Amino acid sequence: MAWVYLIVAGLFEMTGVTMISKLHHDKTIRAFFFLVISFWLSFAFLALAMNTLPMGITYAVWTGIGTAGGAILGMIWYDEPKDWFRLSCIGLIIISAAGLKLFS
Amino acid sequence: MEGFWGDDKMNMQWVKVVIAAMFEIGWVIGLKHAASWWEWSLTFVCIYISFHLLVMAGKFLPVGTVYAVFAGLGTVGTVLFDTFLFGEQLGPIKMVLIGVLLIGIIGLKLAEDKPREERI
Repeated sequence: MAWVYLIVAGLFEMTGVTMISKLHHDKTIRAFFFLVISFWLSFAFLALAMNTLPMGITYAVWTGIGTAGGAILGMIWYDEPKDWFRLSCIGLIIISAAGLKLFS
Repeated sequence: MEGFWGDDKMNMQWVKVVIAAMFEIGWVIGLKHAASWWEWSLTFVCIYISFHLLVMAGKFLPVGTVYAVFAGLGTVGTVLFDTFLFGEQLGPIKMVLIGVLLIGIIGLKLAEDKPREERI
């Protein structure tokens, strides 16, 4: 069950990141509300997952899903650049950040 | 202004992301170590400032980029704080990972400096 919480936390983080784009795009209070709620739920589920799972791996998976998911949704919905150089850089950051969290 | 380091207004957005990451270090440490009410208040102030700057930078830079840099720098900062403040070990693996992560961030900065079509 802890893994389900963790994945849900990652998905809400991904939603939160996307809501930043939505906020600038739509400029509505609704987008702002969704932004706050998404990150709030993300933290809540992260805390639930950390009750049973080790902190390092929990954090690593959470950042990985949120950052990769946020980048992918940004490319699909908000026309963010798709060149291979940018994607490799984001990939490098995700891999090394996840590695650092695993080893701490 | 367009110069060797890129456009001034865009550089300001990167400064915002870097400061947001510094406040992220603050609240990560806070969530882990805060014990009294004022330490918790400080933690929440850090969360507010870091997300505020993150959202502001996301107005001009692709949010995928902003969030990757924010999460990456926050992680490096937290590891360094754990090392120098709380006496954790910084082995060769961590040092290599920090190097790779910084290469990724510098690469993203260079990628965004390249001219391209107008974004929404």
